[in-house]
Amino acid sequence: MTAVAIEGVSRAFGAVQAVAAISLDIRDGEFFTLLGPSGCGKTTLLRMIAGFCELDCGVIRFGDKRIDTLAAHRRNTGMVFQNYAIFPNLNVGANVAYGLRARKVATARIAERVRSALKLVHLEDYEARWPHQLSGGQLQRVAIARALVIEPEVLLLDEPLSNLDAQLRVEMRGEIRQLQQSLGITAIYVTHDQEEALAISDRIAVMRAGRLEQVGTPDSIYRNSATPFVAQFMGITNLLEGKVLGHEGAHLVVEAGATRFRIESVAIAPGEAITFSLRPEALRVLGAGEAPPPDWGVIEAQVARAEFLGTLTRIEAHLPDATMLRIALLDQTIETPAAGQTLSLCYDPRRVSVPERS
Amino acid sequence: MKFGAGAGFRITVTVFGLLFLGLFFLYPVLRVFSASFLDSSGAQLTLHNYAKVLSSAFYLDSMVNSLWIGVLATVATTLVAAPMAFALARLPLAGKTALMALSILPLVLPSFVGAYALLLLFGRAGIVTSGLHALGIPFGSIYGTPGIVLVYVLTLYPFVLLPALAGFKAVDVSVEEASQNLGASRWRSLRTVTVPIVMPAILSGALLVFIDTLENFGVPFVLAEDMPILAVEAYKLFVGETDTNPGSAGVLGVLLVASTAAVVMIQRRYLGRRRFATGARRSPPLIPLSRGFRALATAYCWTLVLASLVPFFAVIVISFLEFRGPVLHWHVSLDNYVELFERSLRPLQNTLFLSTLAALGAALLGVPIGYVVTRARTRITALLDIVATMPFAVAGTVLGIGMIITFNSGWLVLTGGWFILVLAYVVRKVPFSVRTSSAILHQIDPSLEEASINLGVSPAMTFLRLTVPLMLGGIVGGMVLTWVSAASELSSTVLLYSGQWQTLTVVMFQALESTGAGLAAATASLLIFFTVVPIALIYRLLRRYEMSLL
Amino acid sequence: MNGRFRTLAHIGLACVTLALSGIAQAQQKLVIYTSNEATLNELTSSAFSKETGIQVSIVSAGSGTIIKRIQAEKDNPQGDIIWGVSRSLLQTNKAYFAPYKSQHVNAIAAEFRDPDNLWIGTNLHLLVILQNTKMLPVSESPKSWSDLLNTKYKGKIAFTDPRNSGSAYSNVTMLVDLWGGGDAGWQKVKALFGNMRILNRSSLVFQGVGKGEYPLGVSLEYAGYLWANNGAPVKTIYPSDGTLALMEGIAIIKGGPNNESARKYVDWVNRKDVREMILKATFRRPARADLDLSKLPGGMPSLSSLKLAPYDEAAWTAKRKETLERIKDLIQETR
Repeated sequence: MTAVAIEGVSRAFGAVQAVAAISLDIRDGEFFTLLGPSGCGKTTLLRMIAGFCELDCGVIRFGDKRIDTLAAHRRNTGMVFQNYAIFPNLNVGANVAYGLRARKVATARIAERVRSALKLVHLEDYEARWPHQLSGGQLQRVAIARALVIEPEVLLLDEPLSNLDAQLRVEMRGEIRQLQQSLGITAIYVTHDQEEALAISDRIAVMRAGRLEQVGTPDSIYRNSATPFVAQFMGITNLLEGKVLGHEGAHLVVEAGATRFRIESVAIAPGEAITFSLRPEALRVLGAGEAPPPDWGVIEAQVARAEFLGTLTRIEAHLPDATMLRIALLDQTIETPAAGQTLSLCYDPRRVSVPERS
Repeated sequence: MKFGAGAGFRITVTVFGLLFLGLFFLYPVLRVFSASFLDSSGAQLTLHNYAKVLSSAFYLDSMVNSLWIGVLATVATTLVAAPMAFALARLPLAGKTALMALSILPLVLPSFVGAYALLLLFGRAGIVTSGLHALGIPFGSIYGTPGIVLVYVLTLYPFVLLPALAGFKAVDVSVEEASQNLGASRWRSLRTVTVPIVMPAILSGALLVFIDTLENFGVPFVLAEDMPILAVEAYKLFVGETDTNPGSAGVLGVLLVASTAAVVMIQRRYLGRRRFATGARRSPPLIPLSRGFRALATAYCWTLVLASLVPFFAVIVISFLEFRGPVLHWHVSLDNYVELFERSLRPLQNTLFLSTLAALGAALLGVPIGYVVTRARTRITALLDIVATMPFAVAGTVLGIGMIITFNSGWLVLTGGWFILVLAYVVRKVPFSVRTSSAILHQIDPSLEEASINLGVSPAMTFLRLTVPLMLGGIVGGMVLTWVSAASELSSTVLLYSGQWQTLTVVMFQALESTGAGLAAATASLLIFFTVVPIALIYRLLRRYEMSLL
Repeated sequence: MNGRFRTLAHIGLACVTLALSGIAQAQQKLVIYTSNEATLNELTSSAFSKETGIQVSIVSAGSGTIIKRIQAEKDNPQGDIIWGVSRSLLQTNKAYFAPYKSQHVNAIAAEFRDPDNLWIGTNLHLLVILQNTKMLPVSESPKSWSDLLNTKYKGKIAFTDPRNSGSAYSNVTMLVDLWGGGDAGWQKVKALFGNMRILNRSSLVFQGVGKGEYPLGVSLEYAGYLWANNGAPVKTIYPSDGTLALMEGIAIIKGGPNNESARKYVDWVNRKDVREMILKATFRRPARADLDLSKLPGGMPSLSSLKLAPYDEAAWTAKRKETLERIKDLIQETR
């Protein structure tokens, strides 16, 4: 039963506040991701949990047990490092057995557990191999087996996939997720890759400059980004700035880029400034004479550039006042629009999110 | 003060290191240097001695000479040794193992013996000099700055070679490949990627060279003729027969130590801003060379190694020549060895015993210190780093006097046995151990240690079970350096040895000072033999385990 | 990996065992601190041991080092005897010595022993000029100290730094007096320095002349005989304008561990037959005046046949500090 509670944790390096008064509750068995650009403090926070970085203030608990005062080697976490950190002087089996030896597990039991851990990561026959004989992906599996074999309370993963190639990365993240779910272990995962975070996590905490921007499930973070930063960091978006004109039924009418947008109603009075996010893939092209679904907003934009990517066509267009609007179209049975062409676009107002000004 | 993970272990090492070096190094040495801050009656604090020395043209000259020679020798040594390290690490050469084993030898021969041998060859009446003159080739002599620098280059280059070799071997070849992949030529990627990665190792060697040239008085004593040199002047002021002046001597000693501390701090600043760990999983492959370049590289390495061995050949040849009294006669003779073996072999046993204990002691003390000062970069570890490097800059004479003053009476009496010799060697050689461990640690990724701690192994046990095996090449290399240089240590031995604890180096010194150059040569040959054998054994051993020394 | 450690450990262990073997003793002892050369030490200690059964340990280093060590060890002396250092060093370090009236006091002139018997002379060093006759023909020999001022010898004369050698110090100060004293004397010393190479250690001077590094050297008498008798082209010149007989002596260290053996040695080393043995092997001129040098190897001239310069050792010792400053300045000015 290992929920992780982080309460008011801070750490400064000189003048830089690496982690600033962060509180988080990570549930038992949850796959929790710390996401953010480099330097946002996510790795520092992870290293605090592992015990490699001291806290200036705050408390960290595993369940009811306070662990931030424990020495790193007594915390019973399993950590997977960015560069694998496989001991080059030990073979695969000895690497995996390392933590068991430290726990004085009986030799016979060690062999057994090493074997089953290696089986878990599909490296059954690699026990006697040396690290320099393995590929990057295999090393990563050894690192995972080594971290899991000690049956840690929490699995900590520090950008474990960043050194792998794109395809392997996708494969491995699926495996990691599967392993975590089948073992029911609490996992805390650090990455700067938003797609990875979305794909793998139960919940995500987006961090920026040592602070939490938003904590939530992948789709709430993506669709209802709490701040402009999150909206932009979670993938390409159109972050538009405008002014509230007034209400129109259940919707708010906003003027941005010399265009009227309909968005879901929020508590902003007419005449006030507003920033809202409209994802490129939420926009659809209306064919000539085609009617938009009821209640949808309709806008017009002039194509500046179009990129055909197979499954997707990316378009950069201009609103009447030259504000740029990005559009992503799933392969539609229309021709790729040419530059200069004016498109009629429609969108569901529920797809527009209004992040708070931070 | 934040020590990060494993604070307990790091604090223990730091505290123990500072206490040990404080008691057996700083305190004794300060007792000697304190005279420089006292007036002649010893009662009043004063800076008068400093004013006097610093306003003396003679001592300023000696300072300028020392620094100039030090800089020249350091630059030259680095330029000569770094390419050889690269060649040994990365190029296909003929006789690589032999080259590596032979390249440690220059440290075996006490510098005063080497200087004597070189004079015999290259002095004004030297064999080579006379030969060249007979052929009509003008050749001055080995005296003066060029000669001293040459001797330093040829005797001190292992200080740069060994750590640089280890560094080049630990470079992750993918970094180079990345560079070449980005369009850099092989030469350019070597210059812009590989060399900067290895720079900390090269610099830590260069630092040892610079400090050694400042402190060494054996070589300039003979070769400087009448050019004033700081270390020689300090020696005369400390233990000269007529002009002993503890005040001025202390000033020169303090100046030597201050220069060292300054250089260590500069190096620390430089390294502190860089992290070079590359996490190589295997030694980089050899670079294929055309036959011509291969011959060139092989010739370069062998020329350097053989040139550095000239004093050895000279000493060994001399040991088989006949001496009547002090006078050399060109007849082959075994008389020197007969005389040597008629005497007690006790000095040989002493030398082996003392240097073995010293090497073990210096490793036990120095490796953890090297670890802490590299991994935890705090003010207190910076202090430890400097304190642990300073013994190198304190003349053996000063340490010897300080140890006698401190440990000949009072609550801790150590004089009169073997222990104080071992203690002096450990203190004096601990910088080798600290520097070589630190250099190798710069290339071991700290996340390996974190992984071990994370898996439940305490920091102290992680150090013993993981870090030490990973550093083994460096540790053994440091121990060989300590062993060899302790075996040839003279200046502190002369002050601290008591009757039966005479070492081979003392025998050589006494023989050379009097009429026994032949005996000195035979003794030196014996020392060479007994040093070469263990070195060769260790090399074979490490090779069998596919490890490189350092 | 364990195997690797084990083998390394074996090598280490082998070294230690080898070193420890054969370390065992229990005997009457004597520890001699000396600046004498190894040959002389070896000769006397083995002869003394053979005769008395006392085991002799030699601690040998330069005079300055030896004295420094005795001073540093004053609260717990490790040595019994200091031997082979100059009269002025013995004189200035009397506080560290224990009195003993040697059996041979009557054989040795009063000027070569301490009235309170804190030290006693053993041998005399005469200041001489050594010449390598292969490099400089005998016809070019200097005859006197004043001859050395001749510019034809510029750069050819080796000398020991008086700041590191008591005999060189005495030599310089003697010359100042010889050449008129005061500034006039110093002026000529400066000219002499201009002709000299001033080396760090006295052994560099006589070895240099013996091996041919330098044609001329200002050194001590015994070295000339030692090299010449072993076949080196070295000529010993007693300067016609006068020279000094510098005494070397022996003293018992106060509070040393083996006082009884120390007294035996002090008597032994000045015995007539022992002096003869030492002279034969090392050409040390004895302090006692009752040996016929002309009948002994080398055939050294008797002291009475040589011109000795007047010298006030006490006065020069008293103003040593200023004198050395002056010498240092002169060396720097003439480099």
